[in-house]
Amino acid sequence: MSEHIVKSYDEQLELINSNLIIMGGLVESQIKNSIKALEDKDTSFAEEIISDDNKIDELEKDINELAYKIIAMRQPLANDLRTVISALSIANDLERMGDHATNIAKRVADVKVNLPDAPTLEIVRMGEDAQKMIKDVLDAFVQRSDKLAMNAWHYDVNIDDTYIGIYRDLLKIMSDDPDSVAGCSHLLSIAKNIERLGDYAQNIAEDIHFIITGSALEKK
Amino acid sequence: MNETKIITNNVNVYYGEKQALHNVSMNMQANEVTALIGPSGCGKSTFIRCLNRMNDVIDTCKVEGTITIDGYDIYSKETSVEKLRERVGMVFQKPNPFPKSIYENVAYGPKIHGIANNKNELDEIVENSLKQAAIFDEVKDRLHEPGTALSGGQQQRLCIARAISVNPDIILMDEPCSALDPIATARIEELMEELKKDYTIVIVTHSMQQAARVSTKTGFFHMGNLVEVDKTEVIFSNPSNKKTQDYITGRFG
Ligand SMILES: Nc1ncnc2c1ncn2[C@@H]1O[C@H](COP(=O)(O)OP(=O)(O)OP(=O)(O)O)[C@@H](O)[C@H]1O
Ligand SMILES: [Mg+2]
Repeated sequence: MSEHIVKSYDEQLELINSNLIIMGGLVESQIKNSIKALEDKDTSFAEEIISDDNKIDELEKDINELAYKIIAMRQPLANDLRTVISALSIANDLERMGDHATNIAKRVADVKVNLPDAPTLEIVRMGEDAQKMIKDVLDAFVQRSDKLAMNAWHYDVNIDDTYIGIYRDLLKIMSDDPDSVAGCSHLLSIAKNIERLGDYAQNIAEDIHFIITGSALEKK
Repeated sequence: MNETKIITNNVNVYYGEKQALHNVSMNMQANEVTALIGPSGCGKSTFIRCLNRMNDVIDTCKVEGTITIDGYDIYSKETSVEKLRERVGMVFQKPNPFPKSIYENVAYGPKIHGIANNKNELDEIVENSLKQAAIFDEVKDRLHEPGTALSGGQQQRLCIARAISVNPDIILMDEPCSALDPIATARIEELMEELKKDYTIVIVTHSMQQAARVSTKTGFFHMGNLVEVDKTEVIFSNPSNKKTQDYITGRFG
């Protein structure tokens, strides 16, 4: 990253990098907390999560401003250009991930009703898988490791598979017991939120690959 | 890809004992702008001067290897340097109009090369060259005022008109915009865009942005070596050589 002749340029690039890491950490904990709130059906914890989302939005704004400033002031090229352009895209993906965590938290109140335990547990497990993938992708970013990024990228298919399984299970439960439809449809949305988290993590893995190698992965 | 106009093959250049270029092999295409970049003293001017044998005037300078234009060896015994310079025009870093009128600056070349048959033809060449260099409108009412009375940017375009007036195939530009403001620079860049339809252009520039804006292909020189040459967009977005990347991103001088 470092050793530009102009020190303040290094400082700006480092700031964008550290803001992304902070933002990634926040998103990670928002997701972790929202799954926990779901597991415990803890609505007041869910409220906290919802109100914390604006911290993520603020960071995205800061990163965007900094990126525009670097482009205008420094006219970055080659790896620097890729870093700045990718920072915009990663920040955008992280912000969307934050929204999905918020969406999960918002539904905690709705699923407080009587629900079958099995799919709820399965969703919690899927959430843990997504968290692992997100952690790997953020580690890949911090370490600038293409290998880690690619591992995380390939992991997404597991989350997609779990989602399909949960989807089937929930359909079955709903058709067997019409009274469960209201609760199960919320669970279905939550599973979808988690599935989307995996997709965004995959986007970030693609950006990391682009920063490091200079070539774009085929977007899925 | 356009037809290859200039080929240099293993060009070595020495100033006395000191070697300034090492085995430079590079192709330049017709109707394209080729940009040469690299840190000060890396040999860009030396290289571009080989292409119209401007180095011949330096006593200590020795050029080895082959350079062909349209397949003809420009360093062969049969080549007339006069004719070569007629075909390969040059624009320098500092605008250098002759201490003569604007008209005479442009008419001089066609006159000595016997390109115009009469005064009318000469007038026409002068007007067309000034038009091609995008300066005609600014000077048409003062053609007999001294060229040195123009602004820097206008002088540079006058020099371009002078280079064009002898109807060359190739125009070499060694840092043509280094003394110009962004508007004059943009005019010259726009002009290159126009000129490349008819000419092969080789430009040395210290501005990465300028190279990125105007050229099709960019070569990066370092300590007398051509380190990397590739499509301009590749050089500036994803160069293969670490030295190129370090240089264009401002990591070493
Ligand atoms: N007339 C000369 N006599 C001796 N050495 C020379 C002469 N012209 C250039 N050199 C040397 O050859 C090397 C290349 O010089 P050249 O002028 O080609 O560099 P450049 O890349 O054009 O640099 P700049 O960006 O500063 O114009 C330098 O080390 C320079 O000192
Ligand atoms: Mg030079």
